Parts: sequence; structure tokens; C-alpha cells
Amino acid sequence: MKRNVFLAFISPSVIVMTIMMVVPLVTAILLSFNYITYSNLNEPSFVGLRNYREILSDPAFWKSFRFTVVFILVTVPAELVLGFLIALLIDQIRYGRGIYIAAILIPFIITPVVGTLMYRSMFDRGGLYYHLLERWFGYEFLLTTGTVRFLILSHGIWYVTPFAVVSLFAGLQTLPQQTMEAATMDGAGVLRKIWSVVIPHLRTIIVFILLIGIMDSYRVFDSVLVMSRSNPVFDVDTMMYYTFKVATSVQRLGMANAVSVITVIGILVVLIPFLVVTYRQQKEVR
Amino acid sequence: MKHLTVVLLATLATIVACGTEDSGDQGAEGGGLATDVPIEIDMIGWRFPITEFYAEELESFNAIDNLTVSTQMLDAQSVREQVRLALAGSGESPYEIVQGDSVFLTELASKGFILPLDEYIAKYQDVYDFGDISDNLLRLGSPDGKIYGIPITANTMFYFYNMDIFEEYDLSVPETYDEVIAVSQTLADSGADLDLPFAINLHAGWAWRVEFINFLNGFDGTLLDDDGMPRFNEAPGVQALESMLRIADATMGDKGLSWSIDDVEIGLETGRLAAATTWASRAANMDDPAKSQFVGRIGFAPAPRVSDDGGRAAPVAADFYMIPANTTVDPDYIFKLIAEATDLETQNRGADFSLMTRGKVSEARQDVRYVNAALTSIAEGGASASTHPANPIMIAVLDNELSKSLNRRDDLQGLLDEMAAAYIDEARRQGAIE
Repeated sequence: MKRNVFLAFISPSVIVMTIMMVVPLVTAILLSFNYITYSNLNEPSFVGLRNYREILSDPAFWKSFRFTVVFILVTVPAELVLGFLIALLIDQIRYGRGIYIAAILIPFIITPVVGTLMYRSMFDRGGLYYHLLERWFGYEFLLTTGTVRFLILSHGIWYVTPFAVVSLFAGLQTLPQQTMEAATMDGAGVLRKIWSVVIPHLRTIIVFILLIGIMDSYRVFDSVLVMSRSNPVFDVDTMMYYTFKVATSVQRLGMANAVSVITVIGILVVLIPFLVVTYRQQKEVR
Repeated sequence: MKHLTVVLLATLATIVACGTEDSGDQGAEGGGLATDVPIEIDMIGWRFPITEFYAEELESFNAIDNLTVSTQMLDAQSVREQVRLALAGSGESPYEIVQGDSVFLTELASKGFILPLDEYIAKYQDVYDFGDISDNLLRLGSPDGKIYGIPITANTMFYFYNMDIFEEYDLSVPETYDEVIAVSQTLADSGADLDLPFAINLHAGWAWRVEFINFLNGFDGTLLDDDGMPRFNEAPGVQALESMLRIADATMGDKGLSWSIDDVEIGLETGRLAAATTWASRAANMDDPAKSQFVGRIGFAPAPRVSDDGGRAAPVAADFYMIPANTTVDPDYIFKLIAEATDLETQNRGADFSLMTRGKVSEARQDVRYVNAALTSIAEGGASASTHPANPIMIAVLDNELSKSLNRRDDLQGLLDEMAAAYIDEARRQGAIE
């Protein structure tokens, strides 16, 4: 491909990426070194690293960081395992497969806040699960730190698992039948075939799901806002929610930008190993 | 504060006391708004029944040639964010009218984001009879002595109770929170088929702040002194938190802590909740057959006192229409539009939804059952947030920290001291206090 043609093809996406990602990121970095509230929005004052020092010495930030890590450690593996199992089951279905896939996709395609409100309403007074838990087990589902955390974590799994199902199911459709038949001929059982044939075949997709899953989990916000009803007693702030509070409640806009920059750095640190693996895999393929 | 609320009571009392007066037909509705040049008015505000009513009233002025009125009704948080960004920038305001409460008004006024309206009030005094609006409601919108907003509705909290349940168990309406606890205990012991005997709103950070300010005022405490230094961590503050926790434990436990204002309203309307202290703006729904199974059977009484000799734990609040300083439309015209949309005729109709701000709301509105409970609650309670410019910072601290008292029961003084220190730290950083 000629250089000019190559540039013509990539320039639209480069321009869009620059406007939508690079400019905001650079702006956020610059603003993070300033003291800004709504009172001095037009005349921010440069404070160097003070915003970063304040954030890193704020116990609320570290608390939000810990819960974000817990959220990632619970939801991402659960999404992967559940998604894989459901994809395997759907792969075995011969008739009406589309109906199952459509049903499984519902949590993923509805508007996030609407989905979150619906999920919470099932556990609210008068909700289906509230009623069933009370009727069958005599358990009254009250909002406490534990139950709100359960709601946020389980909603996270419910919401992102369909993405893993669809991705892995698509990967299963490309699984060479000869390889599976050969494994059967060699006497491999179901578990051995999954471990030695299916999972290696899906390795690239699994890494992709992990990448997206970690990024999604890192910026979880809607469910925290909705499930906790902004009640700080539940102690479920995530990093995004902490940023939101710094910006809107305390109105420290420069500091909120600094949290955003720290968040981006955090995501990069977590994702770099996955990006390296993906790069190597692509290189091997080529 | 007491003086303010007493005068407020007197003014609001005319809602029921005054006879019908001619609304002084200001020509054809909106007649003073004729314009030869196209004018676009955008209003932003938060949604509840009375504010939606006013929004519809504003939109009715679209019938005037060359005038286009658009209204945007969102949740309170979104309105605050959008308005702050729109008014803080150096550009033109996308809104000509901003609706918000006195806390938001104080914040915007302290930053110079909204216009003082004294000049227009004086100019149009005779046309729109602003003397009919309570001085004290106007004062809620005057943090520095200038009037920054036209009050469109007043609000407070009082005691709602199911008369059928109270008659069945031979209960008297409580006057103090000790009596509230006793009534709740009687209902709990009787085995009445209820989700809760009583509820106060403690489901969110801001709800804790509202009740804390109510109780603090009831114990004769104050939030900030004139210099903006914290006083909420003094003895009345500790008493307020102790009382709130004691009442929550004795009447509703963990279950009630998750009940939102909507849950409380539905609980009363369906008979699953025997009584509650909640907002006046929810009272009209109790008599709406489409919502309530107990039309005419939910009683209204003044908010309970915090102690035998304490004040009533009730706020006085108002929502205002304000004009941004960086609007490009003639403020005189915007002011006239606001005045037309909030005149006596409109408020007579608006009394279906909420407490009105004009004294001469016609005697036809004496059918509003909850007015006496509201007026007494305001007169003998009437707590409001500080009008000091540092108020938004204090609000943020209270919103984020107060509910943590649930886990700090044995060290409430320590918690309040930490909050005071956090407030001073942030207020000094932002230059709001010395």
C-alpha cells in the first residue's frame, strides 16, 4: 500500500482519536496541576503537584481504590468463567439458539442506568427477589454495607457476562472439528478437551475479554450511584465515584482532574501486561 | 432564625386567613410580554410536581408572538452540575431562568453567577404586588442583603399519620419525639400488620444533613457563626445526632434507614406505614385517589419537638427562579416573564401541589388540609442552612460524613470535630473563610 493511501485511510480515525481522547487527556493533565473551583474557572492558579499530594494522602481515595480492586478481582474472573460456561452450553444447542443468545444479551444492550435501576428494583421492597427471599428463607433484604456491596458486585457480573458469552461463542464457532475429533480419538474426556483444545484456541479472545473487563470494571460508576443511593454509610465508593464526589460535592475541579489522571495511569499499569501478550500473539500470527 | 420564621408564619397564614381578592387581572395573561423581536427563553430546574406546574405555566407563554420558551426539568444533581458549568464559564449562559433552592441560590450568588433583582422588584412593585410575597421567603434568597430570586414555592416537613390505624389502636398524635417512640412501640407490640410503625428520611447523605439541621435547630444550635466558623460540633450538635440515632433505632431500625422519600410516601398511601415525618410537597398526593388508598384518612400534624421544651424538627425551604448574570436576553424582560408566571392567579392554581409564597392565595384554597401543620412546623421549627458563602462546603462535609455516625455511636463528638476540621481545612483552601 502506498504511503499516501495508507495515510488517507487512517487519518479520519487519527483525527477523531486526537479530538476525543488525546486533547481531553492532555487538558486533564494540565488542569490537574491547577487549583480550580467554579469560582475561578476562568483564572485557575498553578499549584504544581499539590492536588496529587492531597489525593494520595486522602484515606477516602485509598478506600475507593481498594473497593475498585475488589470489584475487578470479583467481576472479571466471574464474567470470564460464567461467560465460558454459558457459551459452551449454547454451543451444544441445536434449535432456537438465537432466542437464547438474544435473551442473554438483554442486560448488555439496555441502557446502563435503566438496567441498574431494574436490577435494584428486584431487591427493593415489593421486588421479586425481596419477596422470594422473605417467603422462602424468611430473610429480609435490607440495605447494609454487605448487601449493597453484593448488589454492586452481582450487578457488575450480570451486566458484563453477556459480552463474554457472545465473544467466546463466536470463538467456539471457529474451533476446528478435526482437532476435536482427533482429541476424542485419542481418548480425551470432556474436561481434557476443554483444557487442552478449546481454551488454547480461545486464548486471544480470553485476553481481549480480560482487557475490556478490567477497563470496564475500573470505571464502574452507575451501579454505585444507584445501589448506594449516594449514602456514604455503605462505604462503596469506587475511584470513578470518588472523582465524581470531588468534582461535584467538594467542587475541586483541578483535584478531580488529578484523580482522573491517576485513574488513567492505573489502567495503563494494569493493562500493559495484557497489551504486551496481545502484541506478541499478533506478531506470532503474522 | 426564630424571628424570621415567626414572620414567615404570619405571612403564610394568610393563605388560609385571607379572603379572595381580585388577582388584579394584569391585562391579558402575559400581556406585558409582547415583543417585536424574537426572544428565546430557556429555563432549567429540578423536577417535582409544583416545579413542573410552573414549567408548564412558562411554556404557556409560547402563545405570545416572537416568544419561545423552553423548559428543561432534570434531577437536582444534574441541574446543579449543568448550571455551575454554564454560569462559571466566560461565555453566554444557555439559560435565562434557573430554578433552585436557597442553598443553591446562596452558592450562585456568592460566586456572582446570578443577578440581584432588587431593581426590578422596585420597578414592578405596583404591577405584580411583590409585597404579597413573604419578606422572609425573599430573605431566604438574599444571602448578602440583595434579593437574588423570586420564591415560587415553600416547603417544610411535618408529621403524617394514618387516622384509621391511630383510631384502631387508640393512639394520640405525638407532640414530641419521645411520644413518637412510645406510639411506635405500642404499634410494634400490638402486632399490627405494618412494614414500619414510623419513618424519618435517613436514606441518603443529604437526608441525614436535612434532619441534622432540623434537630440542631430544635436544640437551639447553629451551623456556622458569622465568620463562617463551625459551631455544629458543639453540644447541640451532639444532642441532635444522639436523638436522631435513638429515634431511628427505636422506631424503624436498619429497615427504615433504606426507605427513600418515595418509599415513605408509598408506605403511607398503601397503609404499610403508620406514620412518618416527611415533606409537605408529598401531602397533596395523600388525597389523590390515583395514588392513595387512604384519601382523607392521612392526618397531618406539626413536626414533633426534639424534646419537651425543644423546637420542632422541621425545615423551612423555598425554591426560587433566578436570572443568570451572563444571560444575553434583557433581564428586565426575563424578570417580567418570571413575575407573570408566578403571579397570584397562577399561585391560586399551584396550591394544589404545594405551599405557595403569596399571602393572598384565595380563600378557595382553604381546602388544602395540611396548611396548619406546615405553618406550625415552620413557626416552631423552621430550620434552614447557613447563608454564609462557605455553606456549600459545609453541606458537602455534612452530606459525606453524617451518616457515618451509625458506625461511630460512642464517639459522636469526635466525628463532629473531625467534620469541623475537614470543613475548616477545605473552606480555607477555597478562601471562603479566614
